[in-house]
Amino acid sequence: MITLYDYELSANCYKQRLMMSLLDVAYESTPIDFFPGLEHKGDDFKKINPMGHIPVIDDAGYVLWDAHAILVYLAAKFDPSGRWYPTSDPELLGETASWMLFAEGTTNTASAARLHVNLGYDFDIEACRTGAHHLFRLLDEHLWFREREGKDWVCSSDHPTIADIAIFPDVVLSEEGGVSRLDYPALRRWTDRVKALPGFIVMPGIFPLGTS
Amino acid sequence: MADAFSSWHPLATAYDLPHRHIFHGQLLGRELAVWRADDNFINVWENRCLHRGVRLSIGTNDGAELTCRYHGWRYANRSAGCTYIPAHPADAPARTICNRTFPAVERYGLIWSGENPDGQPPMVELLETGSPFLLRNLPVNASADVVLEALRDHSFQPQGRLEGQGADMTVAIVGDYGLALTSTDGQASTSAVFFVQPVAADRSVIRCVLAETPPQSEQLKVWRHHADALGKLVNRAEATFATLPAPAPLVATIEEVPIDLSVMPEMATDRRAALRVEVSRKWTTAEGIAAFELTSIGEPLPTFQPGAHIDLHLPNGLVRQYSLTNGPGETAYYRIGVKLDPDSAGGSRALHESVRERDVLAISEPRNNFPLRRDALRTLLIGGGIGVTPMLAMAQALHVMNLNFELHYFAQSNAHLAFEEIRNTLGNSVKVHLGLSPEQTRAEIEAAVAEFDYANQLYVCGPGPMLEATRELAAAAGWPDETVHFEYFKNTNEIDDSSQFDVALARSAVTLPVPSGSSILEVLRANGVAMPSSCEQGACGTCTVPVIDGDIDHQDVYLNQTERAAGDKIMTCVSRATSTRLVLDI
Repeated sequence: MITLYDYELSANCYKQRLMMSLLDVAYESTPIDFFPGLEHKGDDFKKINPMGHIPVIDDAGYVLWDAHAILVYLAAKFDPSGRWYPTSDPELLGETASWMLFAEGTTNTASAARLHVNLGYDFDIEACRTGAHHLFRLLDEHLWFREREGKDWVCSSDHPTIADIAIFPDVVLSEEGGVSRLDYPALRRWTDRVKALPGFIVMPGIFPLGTS
Repeated sequence: MADAFSSWHPLATAYDLPHRHIFHGQLLGRELAVWRADDNFINVWENRCLHRGVRLSIGTNDGAELTCRYHGWRYANRSAGCTYIPAHPADAPARTICNRTFPAVERYGLIWSGENPDGQPPMVELLETGSPFLLRNLPVNASADVVLEALRDHSFQPQGRLEGQGADMTVAIVGDYGLALTSTDGQASTSAVFFVQPVAADRSVIRCVLAETPPQSEQLKVWRHHADALGKLVNRAEATFATLPAPAPLVATIEEVPIDLSVMPEMATDRRAALRVEVSRKWTTAEGIAAFELTSIGEPLPTFQPGAHIDLHLPNGLVRQYSLTNGPGETAYYRIGVKLDPDSAGGSRALHESVRERDVLAISEPRNNFPLRRDALRTLLIGGGIGVTPMLAMAQALHVMNLNFELHYFAQSNAHLAFEEIRNTLGNSVKVHLGLSPEQTRAEIEAAVAEFDYANQLYVCGPGPMLEATRELAAAAGWPDETVHFEYFKNTNEIDDSSQFDVALARSAVTLPVPSGSSILEVLRANGVAMPSSCEQGACGTCTVPVIDGDIDHQDVYLNQTERAAGDKIMTCVSRATSTRLVLDI
């Protein structure tokens, strides 16, 4: 079974929990005292991941870190439909990779702002927020045009990809970092669609859709 | 520029309100939750739960009601009144718990609202005669006046010449917050109307509508062209705005809690008929049962909850009680069913024979003495004949919330089954029992109530003997008294009003004698005590008063055995005292 070195409040760890739930993959969570214990910076944890960050997975001895890299691995290994990480469609794969890089941007802005507010990380909060708004504005326009094309997801496919999962938590938790989504209605509608996926799970600060 | 607070502004676009979504909007600094119910009504509400102030835009829209994310308070479509508070499952929320609402009008594909708008949203000739085509809205970090100014220099290419440049632009003013721009390039010409929504002192949204819809194959290109052109405009407006001194922020005033919410309400003085309604539809829903839809001719109808009834004041002076059959969110009218009683004193006969569509009737506000718990693991609803009406309202509420219930509906024959259109929405949860003898009815009820389990609740309404049988069988099957809820049509007990006694009003320090032949209610009213009442025969529970001391001679059919034995409340319209003195907590 996969072991996930995990922290409940981490958006990047949630990406893995969500992905595994959507793919119906069983795993064990090993909680890391990320805050205030900084366990991921400790000597013991650095034996697992010398970079000193989470999430990390251990799949029967195969150890992998970096949130977006783990999504690639999970989808490639556990999605028999080949849709989440579409290796058989070069164009769609390219798009997916491109939006995965975009997700690095939302992580480094929107989610960084959240770390600053919630856990006191020493980031330039104004730069984080401005950067997040810049990316959200682009993404809102992108998703609005996708809707006009009859598409629901970040990539041009008629199904979600790991790019949606990589971006979603940074977006949906942004209010915690002081980044309002009021100006991004298409972005809000897309978060509703992600929440409607079978197997969707929540974390503190992320609410489910209604029951009907 | 006219007063922004008395103007209509577009605050959303039709595509912003997809099925069961809650749009997060803002106008003049005030945050709004905007949602479309399944009946297409558009709700524009203050984005703030009355309870703890949490944003309603993170709640859920089930098509009928909006539920706050925090403690699950439910608010009705249209009226925005609270219909259920999960922490108080046995109680009907006060009608005064109502969110602040703002008007909404859908025009040209835009949703218009305002703080306190005069008249109607602007009529735009170009859009009236054309085939409006909605473009993408653009948020701008600049004030509305800066954006409007920048729009005067905006240019785009007309349909058919999208690839060209340097089209001639003409500008016309549309209302206080809009501009109509026409782009002409050779033979090609396109008009667009731009409305600038003042979101806050330093933010706006440009909402744009083309006068003519381009052919399907061109639409994506048109959208893209305008998005690019407007993107440049946004950059320009934001750059200009950044050089100006920052305007004072617009701070929305949150209305104070109204006085009637923060103090104990005045007691209703009598059987008031506060509302005027029009019979908008009358039809025969089953043999001997007429159905009525009653639509307000003044203010929107007050919020109701399942189990609620209204007093209907008939043209012949009689007052009768009828349960509402409405489902959650069905707030545009009240719907009742009236059975023609062959022994009618004139109530049901008047409604069947004299009252017609377009007639105006006087009704009371809805009152709920038969509230529905929504925390049961299983709810059993039993309705006999016309007693099905409150059960239908309850069943619809449980159905919308995906709660486990069964509705047993007893009727004489297929032709006597009312409100088929409602029953059809309830799936397999309705069990119909037709043409049964009293013994067979008893056997079916016995089977239905056979199993009591933790957190089961039973609601029953129907003829007296059926209620007696249900209560008795449920008690025998182990249903505790507090899980069996019932509502009688009428009190068939003969009222013995021969006793004489005193009532002491503890809070008022008044003692009044109640002579034989008079009810407590009558004596209280005759002495100037304001008292609410409805059926005045001990069936509905409206005139209940807490009792501090004395022995009660219960003659009503509202209280159950446990409540009677507790001896701490009395139905003042029929019940009396066996002691010489009764101390009331009023």
